[in-house]
Amino acid sequence: MIKKFIHQFASPKTYLFQVTRAYPYIFVISVFIYIIAIFWGLFLTPEDFVQGNSYRIIYLHVPASFISQSLYGGMAIASAIFLIWKVKLSAYLVKSIAPIGAITTFIALISGSIWGIPTWGTWWAWDARIVSTLILFIMYLGLIALHDSFANYEKADKFLAVLVLVGSVNIPIIKMSVEWWSTLHQSASITISDKPTIDPSMLYPLFGSMIGFTGIVVCLVILSSKLHIFIREKNKSWIKDYV
Amino acid sequence: MSKFAFNSISEAFTMQSLNGQNHGLYVWSVLAIVFFTLLITFLVYKYKLKKISKKIK
Repeated sequence: MIKKFIHQFASPKTYLFQVTRAYPYIFVISVFIYIIAIFWGLFLTPEDFVQGNSYRIIYLHVPASFISQSLYGGMAIASAIFLIWKVKLSAYLVKSIAPIGAITTFIALISGSIWGIPTWGTWWAWDARIVSTLILFIMYLGLIALHDSFANYEKADKFLAVLVLVGSVNIPIIKMSVEWWSTLHQSASITISDKPTIDPSMLYPLFGSMIGFTGIVVCLVILSSKLHIFIREKNKSWIKDYV
Repeated sequence: MSKFAFNSISEAFTMQSLNGQNHGLYVWSVLAIVFFTLLITFLVYKYKLKKISKKIK
């Protein structure tokens, strides 16, 4: 029964119908949460004693940084599912997530660089966290270019899935870079095992911005995957009925 | 979440910190970059979907 359910949901047709129905709800709720959280973070939280008001960039930088790594994790899981069970939808998702991952990593890098000017006195440093995030950005671009360079989609899907799994080694490096090396970048303020080091008045809007931004990115992934399904399945009769 | 961190709109715009530095330029430019990047991405995907939908039809 579970296998039947998975196979049913893993069909591009079912996925497309389900996400199209969920999209407006996710979009409206996420945008609402994000706007409230950003307003809260920018205007209602107190000034940071050390960083001054520049710390407010945290509400824009941290969600982008968190999502850029999470999306790669999602791509790695989808790649494994595709290689093991040959689920076509997983391959479509891997290709669809890559450009969104590149965009969120771009936001993380740019916002981090701008934040660096008032806090570190420089917009760039060859620091382990920054360099590993730059590598993530280059990897996303490389994966998009690799898939587009193939004329045969099936071959491209396989190569992409293998490369995504190989590249996933960078994710724990990004995460642990601030612990393993002496870096300019501060260590994590929120961890699963320890109590957050941020004051609750600053923490709640941060959670809000992370939830809101995640929802917005999910919407972008839905649009991207829809586009990819249209491209790949354009000759099927059901897609003509759907459109 | 009770009171504003700034006393006026101009103070919120410049975001002057306790050390006397104005951080508004950094914060607002990051906000603008995030907003426009997301907006452009949404618009590009909407346009591409519209274009391919017409082709399929």
